[in-house]
Amino acid sequence: MIGPKSRRILITGGNTGLGLALATKLARRHQLLLSGRKSRDEVAASLPPGAGYIVADQSDPETSAAALLDGVTEFGWDGLDNAVLNAGTGFAAVDGIDSTDAIRQTLDVNLLAAVFQAQALYPLLKKTSGTLTLIGSDAHKGSATVPAYAASKAGLHGLARALRSEWKGNVSVQVLHPGPAKTEMHDKAGYDPGLMRSLFLAPEDIASMMASAIAARRSPVTLSWVKYLNGGAYTGRRL
Amino acid sequence: MTHCGKRALVTGGSAGLGAAAASWLQANGYAVVVLDRVRPDDDGAAADYIACDLTSRSELDAVMADLIAAGPYDLVFLNAGINASGRFENIAAGAHLDVIRVNAEAPMVITARLFEAGAVRSGGSMVFVSSLSHFTGYPGAASYAASKDALAIFAKSMRAYAKTRGIGLTVAFPGPLRTDHAERHSPQGADASKRMHPAEAAQLILADALAGRKTSIPGAANRVFATIGRITPKPVTALMRRLIYSRL
Repeated sequence: MIGPKSRRILITGGNTGLGLALATKLARRHQLLLSGRKSRDEVAASLPPGAGYIVADQSDPETSAAALLDGVTEFGWDGLDNAVLNAGTGFAAVDGIDSTDAIRQTLDVNLLAAVFQAQALYPLLKKTSGTLTLIGSDAHKGSATVPAYAASKAGLHGLARALRSEWKGNVSVQVLHPGPAKTEMHDKAGYDPGLMRSLFLAPEDIASMMASAIAARRSPVTLSWVKYLNGGAYTGRRL
Repeated sequence: MTHCGKRALVTGGSAGLGAAAASWLQANGYAVVVLDRVRPDDDGAAADYIACDLTSRSELDAVMADLIAAGPYDLVFLNAGINASGRFENIAAGAHLDVIRVNAEAPMVITARLFEAGAVRSGGSMVFVSSLSHFTGYPGAASYAASKDALAIFAKSMRAYAKTRGIGLTVAFPGPLRTDHAERHSPQGADASKRMHPAEAAQLILADALAGRKTSIPGAANRVFATIGRITPKPVTALMRRLIYSRL
């Protein structure tokens, strides 16, 4: 095959939104294993051909990490070249205040699941000197609309910063902060961006920038309009 | 119980920085409510005490009504925190879980519910105790660093809302303190005398909060460290690795 060798890539939340856009982009060249909350039957039609699928509900972080580990083994992989911890959730704060459930679910799904999954997948990544990619958000610097979501993504930033240093020489760790994309995320979060939505980037373009950022192994990287206008979706390394 | 004087809530007020903040507040005329897993040992007799282990969601939910009823507060000091230090992959998953529950989730939930109930007085202040690691990275305590970053950004995100209620939010980023907590999680042989006394840190942080400052980094050396960390994050994290991670 011309170009880089085929890699074994795990993408959480790979059945929808940015995860699916990234999977679709990488499917031609690489072996993919995707995870999501929905059942295999519900997502079968939308997955890229050849991709494996694991049911892993991140609202139970510990179980989701075990499910990923089992899924990888069942798929016949003894190592991972890339793990992209992309699954996430968010809830718009009602009248500026998050509900207790929203805070707990957001931290469980976005941060704690990533902690447990990183821990579980470490041996598989270490075997191949692989790359662990955490998908943060542009909101990691703070957002009054989604305080708990912003906090969870800031947590991922801090986690990646520490792990990148701890695992230096064994596993590359990076955090990518995509800007808003035209996915279903905002609807699901109960937030209507209104006319702003027309300014959001297409998921495919963000996925292209994610892929080249993953290949470059840099951290942290913000994937928004600035990078896009600099040709970020068309240039850069190829994964 | 009189509710006419100034009231303060201190989480994790039984030891370390929290205990220091509680005594400073008492000395300055506040009636102090302490929420902690264990009862304050020495001069805690003057404080109201609410028992709660913040690793437990149900315990927090169970005391929330009491916590709100003990207000309204003029000052809230969200300080309760634990650490789990070592190699990330070798730390028990349950320890990572507890760190994120106590350091991030619990103060976020308490903040949201106090605001919702109007349990912080207009003109009051809230202090969120994050960590200097927000500016430096913290290899050797990855989940701790994550939890403290999450708390700092949560506070920042809530600032606009708090302002509409006339409440100031201060994020404190203390460096190493001379507490049992720091002792447990520092490399062996580290020089404890270089760490700041908790009473000094508490006083500096509370002075910043009462002056309406958005951030408080107690100690000149810590402020220098934070500034360098902001300008050149990567070398500072590498230095933290040499100082802490490689000696754990």
